[in-house]
Amino acid sequence: MRTIGFSTGALAYADFRGGVGMLRGKSIHAIELSALRQKELLPMLRGLDELDLSQFNYIAVHAPSEFSKEDEREIVMMLLTVSQRGWPVVLHPDTIHDFSLWRELGKLLCIENMDKRKPRGRTSLELSYIFSSLPEASFCFDIAHARQVDSTMTEAYFILKDFGPRLRQLHVSEVNTRSKHDPLSLASILAFQEVADLIPEYIPLILETPVPAEQIEAEMERAREALPVHEQAFAY
Amino acid sequence: MESSQSQITRLEQRLGADWNFIREARVRTQKKRDELRSVLAGFDSEDTSIVVFGSLARDEFTEGSDIDWTLLIDGSADPKHLELIPQITEVISKASAKDPGREGTFGNMAFSHELIHLIGGEDDTNRNTTRRILLLLESDVVGRPEAYDRVVKNVLQRYLNEDRGFLRGTAQHHVPRFLLNDLARYWRTMAVDFAYKQRTRFGRGGAIRNIKLRMSRKLIYVSGLLTCFSCQLGFGEVLGPINCHRTNGSLECIECLRRFLRRTPLEILASAFLHFEHLDETARMVVDAYNAFLGILSDQSLREHLENLPPDPDQSDETFQKARKLSHVFRDGLLELFFDEKTELCQLTKTYGVF
Repeated sequence: MRTIGFSTGALAYADFRGGVGMLRGKSIHAIELSALRQKELLPMLRGLDELDLSQFNYIAVHAPSEFSKEDEREIVMMLLTVSQRGWPVVLHPDTIHDFSLWRELGKLLCIENMDKRKPRGRTSLELSYIFSSLPEASFCFDIAHARQVDSTMTEAYFILKDFGPRLRQLHVSEVNTRSKHDPLSLASILAFQEVADLIPEYIPLILETPVPAEQIEAEMERAREALPVHEQAFAY
Repeated sequence: MESSQSQITRLEQRLGADWNFIREARVRTQKKRDELRSVLAGFDSEDTSIVVFGSLARDEFTEGSDIDWTLLIDGSADPKHLELIPQITEVISKASAKDPGREGTFGNMAFSHELIHLIGGEDDTNRNTTRRILLLLESDVVGRPEAYDRVVKNVLQRYLNEDRGFLRGTAQHHVPRFLLNDLARYWRTMAVDFAYKQRTRFGRGGAIRNIKLRMSRKLIYVSGLLTCFSCQLGFGEVLGPINCHRTNGSLECIECLRRFLRRTPLEILASAFLHFEHLDETARMVVDAYNAFLGILSDQSLREHLENLPPDPDQSDETFQKARKLSHVFRDGLLELFFDEKTELCQLTKTYGVF
């Protein structure tokens, strides 16, 4: 069975404690702590030791999605404390100003493919440029972004074929026409099934769908339907 | 359309031919595309692409060519899209010798939903069919390609995913028949519309339309047939050998066909001739004729002469007769290619092109 968890940002926006709290007591073993806005990062890092994360066997942190060149080094230094815990750091490649700074995170830097609004990191070709500058980095496959870029899922297929060996986690949601995350629809479930066999069972799925607490289990069930485990899954 | 690693240049070199008008047209096309890219920057977005058709997409642009274009929309409906049309029209008019075609197929908005969902049936209008097929066979994007790429892939997905024989590998040959049938329908529609235009335009412009139907219009259909047959014959070779029938095969086929169709029709024809070395003389005959045809269109006075000829040109009209003879050579060469019994093309042509 796949490991499925949630992003705290999807559940509780900037309130990472609230997001963790919504998952407490449920049979959920993966979580992504979100600090999408730069001002959220330091408070979150300071609060990590007080958080009870014992129910999770997979924990990742989402780095801010926008920052200046001047602030970049400081942000990397802060995120190094996350990687020292052995947790991956998910990063939008369009935020990078200086690739050399991010190489310090090694394999725990987890580059995410982008939605159609972004100028880079959207396709297999664009990702190849990113990974050539970050040869050790791992990969967070945002399947909704890939579908938004190409609803036939052809691009998703080639991204997974090309970067499957780097795959560390998935982001799962529906992305609407305003590029905002939504709960999974039947159309996205059908689309995701097209490439489910390319996603090994051991890769955790992080849901970015904004759902209220009472719909968490139902959304996880939809994710399982979208990405069933294939007996003869693609081997990287 | 793709022009690096030109197949036509490789064929030209192999045959020791000199296709000067093709080369000149390609250079002229590139310049015009660069100009349009520059003046149209900012008119498009992640959800809209400015798509050009016709000679500009075929790498066959001449000084007398018009610029057929459409604003392709693949995103939320936005009333402001309409306001872009007169502005784009104004910019393109300054770069074009003539206005786009009169049937309203070009110089307007096209929506992805119609192109993707309305294949066949009563709602698939002549205009929608034309736009869809030209999008596959004779189009290029000026500026942002995202919407264009998405729509092309989705159209291809419909043709492939709904072709059970093709996907399951149960058909006799690996030829996308649903796609091929629609291409054939479009070719016949063009031929029928030729007669329609003769009637509704009282024969005006009939001579040049006749020659274009025999040459460049026919070439579009030829490139479509060859694209479909390339799945079986393997001269696409854009992604390397593909096992189309395994899981995810359709996704690879979509990408394979999309990349193959990035080539111009002439490039696709050259790909086929490069594959069949024993048909070198046929290749020379066909492409020589096409080169000469482009030579006529590139000559402003000859082009205008053809454009202004009466509906039934005088048999002694030298330019028309020359063009007509070229079209016969072109046709005869294509018949040699498609019915050459040393290759599987002949069988495919009979099975899929006839019955």
